[in-house]
Amino acid sequence: MNWLDINLPLVVLIPFAGAALAAWAARFHRVAAAWTAGGVALLSLALLLPSAIDTFAGETLIQSWAWMPSIGLWFAFRLDGLALLFALLILVIGLLVILYARYYLSAKDSMGRFFAYLLMFMGSMLGIVLSENLLQLIVFWELTSLTSFLLISYWQHRKDAREGARMALAITGAGGLAMLGGVLLLGHVVGSYQLTDVLASGELIQQHPLYTVILVLILLGVFTKSAQFPFHFWLPHAMAAPTPVSAYLHSATMVKAGIFMLARLFPALSGTIEWNLLVGGAGLATLLIGAYTALFKHDLKGLLAYSTISHLGLITLLFGFGTPLAAVAAIFHIINHATFKASLFMVAGIIDHETGTRDMRKLNGLLKYMPHTALLAMIASAAMAGVPLLNGFLSKEMFFEQAVSASDAQGWTWLVPVLVTIAAIFSVAYSLRFIHDVFFNGEPIDLPKTPHEPPRFMKIPVDLLVLICLAVGMLPMFTVAPILAVAVAGTLQTTPPEYSLALWHGFTLPLWMSIIALVLGVALYTVRQRLFDWHERTLHHWDARVIFNALLNGLIKTAHKVSRRFDQGSLQNASAWIVVAALVAGGWGFWLSQQPLLGDRVLLDIDPVSLLMGVLLIVASVLTALWHRQRLVSLIILGVVGLIVSLIFVKFSAPDLALTQLSVEVVTIVLMLLALYYLPQTTPKESASPRQWRDLALALVSGIAVTLLTMSVLSRDFVPISDFFLAKALPEGGGTNVVNVILVDFRGIDTLGEIVVLALAGLGVYAMLKGMSLPAPSHDINGLAWHTDKHSPIMQTLTRLLLPLTLLIAVYIFLRGHNLPGGGFIAGLIAAIALIVQYLANGIVWTRERLPVDMHKVVGVGLLIATGTGLVAMGINFPFLTSTFTHLHWPIVGEFEVASAIAFDLGVFLVVVGSTVIALVRLGELSHSAPNITAEKQ
Amino acid sequence: MDMMLQVLAPELLILIAAMTLLVGDTFWGHRHKALTFQLTLASIVVTALVILASFSTTSVQLFNGAFIRDGVADVLKLSMLFMTFFAFLFARDYLVQRNIERGEYYVLGLLSLLGMMVLASSYDMVTLFMGLEIMSLALYAMIAMQKDSGFAIESAMKYFVLGAMATGLLLYGMTLVYGNVGSLQFATIYQTLATTEQSLVLSLGLVFILVGLAFKFGAAPFHNWVPDVYHGSPTGITLFLSAAPKIAAFALMFRLLIEGLEAALMQWQSILIILAVLSLVVGNVIAIAQTNLKRMLAYSTISHMGFIILGFLTGNVGGYAAAMYYVVIYALMSLGGFAVILALSRKGFEADNIVDLAGLGKRNPVLALVMLVILLSMAGIPPFVGFYAKLVVLTEVVEAGLTWLAVFAVVMSVVGAYYYLRVIKVMYFDQPAAQNAHDADFANASLRYGLILVATLVLMLGILPDGLLTLFNDVMMY
Repeated sequence: MNWLDINLPLVVLIPFAGAALAAWAARFHRVAAAWTAGGVALLSLALLLPSAIDTFAGETLIQSWAWMPSIGLWFAFRLDGLALLFALLILVIGLLVILYARYYLSAKDSMGRFFAYLLMFMGSMLGIVLSENLLQLIVFWELTSLTSFLLISYWQHRKDAREGARMALAITGAGGLAMLGGVLLLGHVVGSYQLTDVLASGELIQQHPLYTVILVLILLGVFTKSAQFPFHFWLPHAMAAPTPVSAYLHSATMVKAGIFMLARLFPALSGTIEWNLLVGGAGLATLLIGAYTALFKHDLKGLLAYSTISHLGLITLLFGFGTPLAAVAAIFHIINHATFKASLFMVAGIIDHETGTRDMRKLNGLLKYMPHTALLAMIASAAMAGVPLLNGFLSKEMFFEQAVSASDAQGWTWLVPVLVTIAAIFSVAYSLRFIHDVFFNGEPIDLPKTPHEPPRFMKIPVDLLVLICLAVGMLPMFTVAPILAVAVAGTLQTTPPEYSLALWHGFTLPLWMSIIALVLGVALYTVRQRLFDWHERTLHHWDARVIFNALLNGLIKTAHKVSRRFDQGSLQNASAWIVVAALVAGGWGFWLSQQPLLGDRVLLDIDPVSLLMGVLLIVASVLTALWHRQRLVSLIILGVVGLIVSLIFVKFSAPDLALTQLSVEVVTIVLMLLALYYLPQTTPKESASPRQWRDLALALVSGIAVTLLTMSVLSRDFVPISDFFLAKALPEGGGTNVVNVILVDFRGIDTLGEIVVLALAGLGVYAMLKGMSLPAPSHDINGLAWHTDKHSPIMQTLTRLLLPLTLLIAVYIFLRGHNLPGGGFIAGLIAAIALIVQYLANGIVWTRERLPVDMHKVVGVGLLIATGTGLVAMGINFPFLTSTFTHLHWPIVGEFEVASAIAFDLGVFLVVVGSTVIALVRLGELSHSAPNITAEKQ
Repeated sequence: MDMMLQVLAPELLILIAAMTLLVGDTFWGHRHKALTFQLTLASIVVTALVILASFSTTSVQLFNGAFIRDGVADVLKLSMLFMTFFAFLFARDYLVQRNIERGEYYVLGLLSLLGMMVLASSYDMVTLFMGLEIMSLALYAMIAMQKDSGFAIESAMKYFVLGAMATGLLLYGMTLVYGNVGSLQFATIYQTLATTEQSLVLSLGLVFILVGLAFKFGAAPFHNWVPDVYHGSPTGITLFLSAAPKIAAFALMFRLLIEGLEAALMQWQSILIILAVLSLVVGNVIAIAQTNLKRMLAYSTISHMGFIILGFLTGNVGGYAAAMYYVVIYALMSLGGFAVILALSRKGFEADNIVDLAGLGKRNPVLALVMLVILLSMAGIPPFVGFYAKLVVLTEVVEAGLTWLAVFAVVMSVVGAYYYLRVIKVMYFDQPAAQNAHDADFANASLRYGLILVATLVLMLGILPDGLLTLFNDVMMY
């Protein structure tokens, strides 16, 4: 494989590997980290340059591998003119910054950490500009947010650094996510995330109904990254970073990433009125605000920060014009701004480093202390102001020209050249301030250090950058022209338009605008003191950070408010929510279905018995709720509810259900009575009145809703599922009681599962209560002592008489179960009740002596029998739990079917008896070890 | 018969392990304290190996179509086993310190795992319900194991009461569907629904099913239990609770809603949209206000569930695969997040407030880095795997034509990023309180290397995300 086929990913990935290397190298010598970083950047550059030849020949290099092809993510890289220009800026300025930082960082700063972060950032930036796949581009985009966060917060001990870093990360990271949304939509529209496809489908994208959404989302990403109005405020706060970081991030890289995106997607997105308004509008606003504010910053880096914002606005505005020529001017200005702004930041760093302050009110007359630095600063500043013979002048002229031609359109466009000139005036004024206030204007005022020239090598990067400013400014055709041509071709994806880099075009309107800007700018600077005072009184307190913080605090406050409202940790509230939500969902589902509430099935006539039962049911339910604080009363009425329900089952010919309901009812009431024994007789009032009303309303509404639901189900015709079972019960299950056949045969495995659960529940109650003792109350609610005689003789006699009878009934119910109402489950409950009554009436000790059976064993045997019937079937090669049956003729009883399922039913019976007795007896025994009442009396 | 054993082998192995340990622990519990723990882990590993050895994407049905083993089930079971393994491994020291490390913990854990696995393989409403209840009942008991903690008892109680209510609703919905369709088996339900007109009863049944599902997922507005339970449970158990059961919730939704009721897509899609939107809002907005880390992670869970529901509501196979991808990734991140809290806690100190993490960057750089990776991944920032999980889901949502929903989800992620970043800020920039100002070493090697492994996975899956997703797509497609 030719290494030129894989050099692009290497260019991007080498800095990441280098980051680890630099951190490691710093262990040996602090400067080693700097050398490593420099070497890594050089290596990347060396790998990139051979491909540049092809790019200059007009080719687009693409290297691509599958990464996550199912969602259109490819590990793909692209080198065209635009990518090459940015990659060169990133690497070359990066190299200079590395050299500069090696001298800038003081002995107590960790070199390893700094260069590791810087290299990671460099790699991420290279990733952005060299990406072919848009999703991959987003990945690197977010990586620049993360790594720039690390760089800005490099001086972690400083509060402003931490805050600035956080704000930068919050704004740019969030913007990146918005951009992700835009890119996803873009990919959806185009059908691919590869730039080659996207750039070729400009028309398709712009005519798609989602175009505006895509544009807004992507621009959110761009504007946050490139500090465009109204997201510009994070940039000045990021100035808390070490100056090499500022020089790198805010001249050529981080903030240019947004601009790069504008350029990259220019063929796909530009050319619509939305683009012009959004991009141009934001650019113009940023240009003005930045230029204006820069003049009033007393901090050197603050001035540069706002000037950066202003120049970024200028470039954005140029892209916003949307014409190919404007794009040329924009690209040209990107190069120029990168060079002069990087050198200015470095100068600011040198001044800070050598004098100990960046306050322009203290810094004066530095010319005689550091003449070399002063000369560099003056040239770079002049380039920033747009003085002829420097690079800034050329691109500014092109910019004015575009502004003028944009004013040809209808409406208020004539304002554009005027506003642009005003911005240029301020730009001249603050550039002048950077020179005059710092290097002239009297003597310095109590500086922390005595100023002098910095080390030789610290100035070399600045020298080089300023040299570029001069060379480009004077000989554009021999310096910048070739790279500009390919970059423009890469941006526009077509042949670039005709443009001229000549210094002299005659006395055109743009030249006049330049002259006006220069003259008025100087004039503005001379009256600066009065302006400062005015600004101090009026606009000084306007800071977008306030809005950001207010927004953030508002969000946090809302969150707190919402939490207080919804997150109260109250079980009642939580259940109320679930009920309400279920109601709403149900109502909505009903509404959506667009069907009448009631079906057209003929309803049965209402007979007096049903009516009476209905009324009783309602009354009993209401009373249960009303008297819920008197527990015993409420429980008894609850029993009434259960009994009526079983009567209803009888009425509608479901004797099995009625029997089950009846016996379950008795067992549960006994269970609850046993529990009540240990609880106070009345419940304290727990809910406040409003909540009770709320609960009442909720109960009413859900009751009505459930009634309506039942009505709507029952009033419709449906295909009953019972036919199948009715048809198969006798021939295949050998029983006429369909309910029982379903339980023990058709769905035998479910029943097996259920009795296992029942057995476990019984054992669980036993285990939980074992070893626990609760003192039984000695007095009732009125302070009267409980009667000492626990077991009434009448009750004892009666229950002993009843026992054989009840057991007989249980056996009877069990045996007839397969054909007539009954079965193991009901029989088990009846038997259990019979036994429990013995325990209740005669006491546990007495009963246990006479019934020495360990109920645990009963449960175990029951489970064994039930499982055994299943296994027998398996043993003779039938599926688990296959049943068979035969007919026997019993004396007295007559014809009798013996199904193998009856053995299964026996298992059910035993488990039910065992579990119920275990659980109830255990509950009854709770107070056994507690001091008894008589002892207490003595 | 042989085939049957082979298909059932994973569940049987776990069942046998649970039963053996239940009995065995009472015999050796006092003498060989670590044996139950070691055997539990061994049984999980063996089960995973058995699944791997017999892994195939063809589907086999048992018990008249009540039980299924297919690629989806196998992948889900493997993920559950993975999460449970690490949850047990991480939690042990924590439980020992608080005197709640008893054999029952592992037995209940294994039973809960069994329930989840049954859920993943259920192909019939009864099997599904059985799996769900086996899982839930064991979980209630696990939370309540710390009997001396009022918090734990309270949260077990809440979980139980609300869970029972939701289960009731779910069951109600299933009976309505059963009454309407006449079958419990998913494939039959699917075919019946696809060929017949849909009735009102079915819609109402669906509504109740969705309420139950939303509760199990912890999706808003049925989310109230999540913060209380996550916060109140001992961290060692929250760790277990937040990972594997969420994968089970996915299985529940996938089997019931997709394999059974997909034909009623038109009816449940809009409800899912509401659930997703509410979950994203509630999860992200309320999380901002939390000072307790466990509570914050609980709310973040709610928002993640919103994303998973987004995958479901696309109504196509890619979306389901995306949801599955998301849930597995989420479980991994959640496992890591709670394990970090676990690693910081000591006897008598739970370390579950955000301020307890202050200065972690200096006190234990490795742990802080692990947490950083997990938080960034949860926030959906590349190159960590959480980003790809979000990306995959969003792509599918856009493909399904629900552009506004994708944009909304992205916006909510932006809000969400805030509270993750706040924790990072606390870890790296804030000064610890005086009593925490010492180094916080790892309590044991398993936590140290386990957490490093989790963080590495989060990063490596982020750099090479395709393998897992392709696998998920394949098993979904088969």
